[in-house]
Amino acid sequence: MEKIKTFIHHLFIPHEENNFRAKSLHTDFLTVYLVIAFLMMLVFKQGNIRDVLGFATDISIEKLAQLTNEQRQKNNLSPLSLNSTLSLAAQKKAENMFQENYWSHYSPDGKTPWDFILGAGYKYEYAGENLAKNFLFSNGVVDAWMNSTAGHRENILKREYTEVGYAIVNGILNGEQTTLVVQEFGKPMANSFPPPAVQASESIPQAEQIIAQKTFQPKISALKFSFNLNVIFMVFLLLALALDLYYASKFNVIRIAGKNTAHLLFIIFILIGLFMSTIGTII
Amino acid sequence: MPKLLYSHLKKEFKNHLFDYLLLITAGIFFLILLNIFRGQRVIEFFILISFAFFYIIWGVYHHIINETLHLKTVVEYILIAFIIIFLLKIIILP
Repeated sequence: MEKIKTFIHHLFIPHEENNFRAKSLHTDFLTVYLVIAFLMMLVFKQGNIRDVLGFATDISIEKLAQLTNEQRQKNNLSPLSLNSTLSLAAQKKAENMFQENYWSHYSPDGKTPWDFILGAGYKYEYAGENLAKNFLFSNGVVDAWMNSTAGHRENILKREYTEVGYAIVNGILNGEQTTLVVQEFGKPMANSFPPPAVQASESIPQAEQIIAQKTFQPKISALKFSFNLNVIFMVFLLLALALDLYYASKFNVIRIAGKNTAHLLFIIFILIGLFMSTIGTII
Repeated sequence: MPKLLYSHLKKEFKNHLFDYLLLITAGIFFLILLNIFRGQRVIEFFILISFAFFYIIWGVYHHIINETLHLKTVVEYILIAFIIIFLLKIIILP
């Protein structure tokens, strides 16, 4: 126990034995962090964090469906069942956006969301569409829709909807690698005979099977893991810098080293930027 | 602890007001650009690299002005900047 205490003291508190600079901030330790970060970068590049096209997202249909239904249940609304025809419409809509290179509910040649829904064979009494692009995590997508004042929230919480379909498709939009999320809502017409609805917890819907050929959803969320690792490491650095700064000013230590205040500011800005990079755009 | 830290930071900002204003302005500019180009991964990564290099240059400039420039100090700024670049590359451009 005493050894651990001494080690932590050596790691974070500037004193004579660590040349009055927290050991965790010494150049040799920083070099070790750099080597680890570089190796991690290589491992993730070779590993399964990305799909074959090089896109990194941790968005899954299952998670989107779960989060959407959680929001509905919070508002005393019945959950939406996953419908394969609506998922197919969402898939066609996403593919069309890449083919015709647009980011809108309406295609340049005038196709509406309803055209895709009807085109997939879903006859609706009510229908709606939410779009999102370039989010890293499923909860970011649903949170953005729920915080939106442009009708996304209304779509998720519309009492009339009974079914939902999703597509997550990667491609190049306006020259940029883009991950599109399409969410199609619907309530089938009473006299139509839609294909049986599939619950999110049951078998994989048709559209998801199509997506599986195009994108790769890692079994272990490597992206989430590396994101959390980034946050933990930056918090560790912030803590080390703050402690070093505190004790150095307490003991009036004068030493040759970088400015902790500047390092702290830099890492805080980076940390804010890291969280910002997880947020995409919605329409 | 927060009181001592606060008074130290206050003193530090007061003594080097221009330098820190420059760094904070660059940081705010970095966040604004990230927000403008949100979702455009290549540009986001370029913005990150630009900010990281600015930070290294800022460090060198700050220590030259204060006549405390030392190779060890420069290496420290470079190491921190590159650790951040490598780590964020995994998230932004895998």
